[in-house]
Amino acid sequence: MVTLKELSYLSTEPDQFIDITEDVHAAVESSGVTDGLAAVILSHTTCGIVVNEGLPCVEKDLGAALDRIAPLDAPYAHAHFLPSYGATGNNSQGHIKSMITGNSCFFPVKDGKLVCGGAQNIYLAEFDGPQRRRIYVEVLGE
Amino acid sequence: MVIDMLVHPLLYGDIYKPGDGPEGFAFWEREYGMGHMGPMDWEEIEVELNAGDVQLSALMPIDATTASGGCFATNEQIAQIVAAHPDRFIGFASVDPHCPDAAEKLERAFRDLGARGLSLHPAKQGFAPDDPLAEPLYELCETYNRPVVFHAGMSWEPKAPLAQSHPLAFERTIMDHPNVRFSLTHFGWPWVRETVAMLLKYPNCYADTSITYLDSPEEMMSRLFTVDMGEHWFERSFSHQVMFASNTPRFRAFKLKRALDAVPMPDDVRELLYSGNALRFLNGEE
Repeated sequence: MVTLKELSYLSTEPDQFIDITEDVHAAVESSGVTDGLAAVILSHTTCGIVVNEGLPCVEKDLGAALDRIAPLDAPYAHAHFLPSYGATGNNSQGHIKSMITGNSCFFPVKDGKLVCGGAQNIYLAEFDGPQRRRIYVEVLGE
Repeated sequence: MVIDMLVHPLLYGDIYKPGDGPEGFAFWEREYGMGHMGPMDWEEIEVELNAGDVQLSALMPIDATTASGGCFATNEQIAQIVAAHPDRFIGFASVDPHCPDAAEKLERAFRDLGARGLSLHPAKQGFAPDDPLAEPLYELCETYNRPVVFHAGMSWEPKAPLAQSHPLAFERTIMDHPNVRFSLTHFGWPWVRETVAMLLKYPNCYADTSITYLDSPEEMMSRLFTVDMGEHWFERSFSHQVMFASNTPRFRAFKLKRALDAVPMPDDVRELLYSGNALRFLNGEE
């Protein structure tokens, strides 16, 4: 059995950690799958899926660490006008941070519930907002 | 408060129409020169505006009926968006000077649709700014105390020759109509110093900041205000004539605002850049 649910979020800041833990749990619990695997997958390239402890101080440190790796004022090759868009890119920070965090996470499903540790919050990590973002929760099992 | 003086609402979902007709999105993509972007709903637009502290945006249509077979948003579509969100938008009107009823349409837009000014893109619309065809339009702008936005300097739209958008191509018109306020968009880039000369010589001439065709917004704004211009030119010589503008959807307003926040300038001059000059341009001297 395979189920797929789409979740949609509208970020409101250029960089933002949006806690989607409850929504993912709910998607799994409503899937009808009792034992299997759940995948949380983004359909974008300038945001990420992060699993980490849900504390504001941790969010702040994660964001600051990513900023040190991909600072705003670095001379990015992508900082130019894109003829095929008719618009400027200028979002390499988002692409690099997205590469670091990855665009998915996976959890076991047991007895119809997502199996994850008490400190494992699931975030949509926005790196090029504000934007509307789509996340797919696919549950495979029986 | 920030006023964004150049927004083309071509990604606004409220006026989205599929297809390749004169108001269709595929027509806009081809003739305006954009791709890989889709319509946005009001929630998305609002958070984007809020991210840049943009309280008010001036929506610019372009009537390219003769040259391209349609409009990049009609005056009615602009009025529709403004009516839905009057606290966040003001609308300009555009008419095609080649059309015999251009002046009549413009007067109707001023009188009935609440248009706050005239948007003309001579290079794209295929006329010279000082062509007698356009004279009745400038006269109407003077009569109704409405400013004119000239799309000047480099614009990405196809079939819009650079030579026809050189800042000096607008000189005769601006000189001959001292009681009409004119803006040269994109700071006339790449002819920044020619635009500076126009600002110095003609107090009814304005320019805007929508010029991130190269580099990052931070690099481009720093270059505009400290390299292409001397670092004190703006505050010393034409502090009342440059307006914040993004040229959305080609550039994101909040990124341009972030870049301008980093350019050193006195607070009172920054306030003029972000909103004061736009109000003066829109309303005239109080």
